[in-house]
Amino acid sequence: MSIFALDWYMIALLMFIGFYCMLASRSIVRQLIGLEIVSKAAMLTVISAGALTANLVIAQALLITMIVIEVVVVAAGLALLVKNFRVNGNADIWKLDSLKG
Amino acid sequence: MTYHNLLFTLAVLFALWAVMAKKLLTSAIMLALLSVTVSLIFFNLGAPWAGVFELSVCAGLITVLFIGAVSLIRAVEEKHPESRAPFNALPLAAAIFAIAGWFYLPAFFDELASWRRLAESSGTIGAALWDLRRPDILGQVLMLAAGVFVIKSVFPRRTEK
Repeated sequence: MSIFALDWYMIALLMFIGFYCMLASRSIVRQLIGLEIVSKAAMLTVISAGALTANLVIAQALLITMIVIEVVVVAAGLALLVKNFRVNGNADIWKLDSLKG
Repeated sequence: MTYHNLLFTLAVLFALWAVMAKKLLTSAIMLALLSVTVSLIFFNLGAPWAGVFELSVCAGLITVLFIGAVSLIRAVEEKHPESRAPFNALPLAAAIFAIAGWFYLPAFFDELASWRRLAESSGTIGAALWDLRRPDILGQVLMLAAGVFVIKSVFPRRTEK
């Protein structure tokens, strides 16, 4: 078994943990934490594939874009959390539809 | 080799801890430690720029955002906590996935890795970012502007009637 296969096995485990967190929890904070874990696994896959094909330069340029997008998604999600908390008094993902205008 | 595998194991452990932690603050801190471990993996794989960005943005900025949001909602979350049963079952589910995956995934990934095509060298990170992937920079600026608009529309200024 190559070292890359072992790395990707661990990455698959990391992704499973993130998806499990997103499925099991109703809190918006935990949903975002699960999303973060899944995106970390995706980033590791991109860089690992870059190292495998000896093309780390493009992989890093792509990853910087991914990081910017991730920050914007997390900031927007936490803004929704704070707004939901002010309107409903809790952080339940199923109460988000009460924010519709 | 051992250091590399140790970092991956640590990443999985921190992810498990972040999901299973009872307090949201602990989850946020474990997420930061996961980011630090991932950035160490990037350094180890020979991707220092990605490591620096991961360390400064994901381990720094996102942790600050999470801790700020958690400190706002912490009192109510501690008064009405979620059911812990699904989170306590996570180690079991992860172990079942790990054991079941061990028979199929490494062989599949080995085959996947054998399809690789080695790339031509594409210069420095500066050349890649500013010459090859310049539309990405525009996309990043647009994405940041979209984020600012989302925040602005979620928290509108109250107008006097």
